[in-house]
Amino acid sequence: MNDAIGGNQRRARFQALCQSLRPDLLRFAFWLCRDRALAEDVVQESMLRAWKAQDSLLDEGAAKPWLLTIIRREYARTFERKRVPTVDVDELIAKEEPMLAAAEEQDLRELRAALFNLPIEYREPLVLQVLMGFSTAEIARELDLSGPAVLTRLFRARNRLRAAMGEKLGADGEE
Amino acid sequence: MMDHARYRMLISADPHSSDPQLRAHRDGCAECGLYTQQLLRFESRLERALKVDMPTPAAVLPFTRPAAARPPKSWRWLAIAASVLLCIVVAAGIWIVLPGASLAADVVAHMAGEPQAWKLTDVAVADTELNDVLRDSQLRLTGAAGIVSYAASCAFRGHRVPHLVVQTPSGPVTVMVLVHESVSRPTQFDEQGYRGTIVPVPGHGSIAVLMQDPGGTHVRDLQGIIAQLRDAIVWTR
Repeated sequence: MNDAIGGNQRRARFQALCQSLRPDLLRFAFWLCRDRALAEDVVQESMLRAWKAQDSLLDEGAAKPWLLTIIRREYARTFERKRVPTVDVDELIAKEEPMLAAAEEQDLRELRAALFNLPIEYREPLVLQVLMGFSTAEIARELDLSGPAVLTRLFRARNRLRAAMGEKLGADGEE
Repeated sequence: MMDHARYRMLISADPHSSDPQLRAHRDGCAECGLYTQQLLRFESRLERALKVDMPTPAAVLPFTRPAAARPPKSWRWLAIAASVLLCIVVAAGIWIVLPGASLAADVVAHMAGEPQAWKLTDVAVADTELNDVLRDSQLRLTGAAGIVSYAASCAFRGHRVPHLVVQTPSGPVTVMVLVHESVSRPTQFDEQGYRGTIVPVPGHGSIAVLMQDPGGTHVRDLQGIIAQLRDAIVWTR
């Protein structure tokens, strides 16, 4: 009986935790997948895996990076389960037009399209830093990279985006 | 001294870096100062671009009740009821003795769990996102609140409460509107590097306001910030 009550409380607590983090997790998955439907599937499947593995979460304060790791692995599994065809980024952009369009701001739409075009090795650390608030060390740990490698990728990511947006980078700011 | 190329590489990798070496170079180099300003303007746009609207459906989580859970026998219910009652009595006793302290500890624990909210930025959340968060607590904010850079509806003590971050001259300040938590008088707290105050709002519970201020250099600004926020809140019920 105590187990049942404990289980219910634990479930409610875990559900509330996931609910509060879900918008950010969905955004992260969206920028990872560049496909909203796939992002929702990945997050949903990740929540199930997280529920089953919740005993491995020792500190609720670390829930977000823990869930992000599960999402990244779940996204990788989609490639194992089925052969994902080569993507045409222009098609992806057209498909996600409602997500990318910021009604009154053409500039933001263009920047979002540029993000879609950014290779995953640059896009992922950038999203972790800007959207998820990860430090360089946390990104390095999550992506299994060295700190300098993370800094290089973040530097190149921003330079590519700024160049795509027509910003003039000084000679020292070039890659 | 750090050269320009190194500075620009490092600042481009982390535009909000507070590294003293980067600051020293920027302070002594007008060109790199200008470069940084341009970069920060771009960063604001980048943050807005990444924050795509992601409405959360009402029923989204897939958890199901475990099949093994069986209905209890009636005497067990009595035992549970007695246990729960005992817990409530004990908790209420603790609550009466230390209401402000325990609420403050819960507020700080919640804030510490969302470090990404503390970012220094000039990017405001979308109005739709902010309004969604505030709607359930039956309030809205006027422009007098300043830049609200973060808005989330968070689970806190069994209720959904608005968790906001407002950008002020003293840095990011976190606000939790606790309509379900009443306090009899303002309670100041200083825990884990967070300083703040929980103030009563007659008829609407309380508001917790806190900032990351381990050195205590901005704590005197809190009262003004609280007054500004209270003026900016319009209760809709």
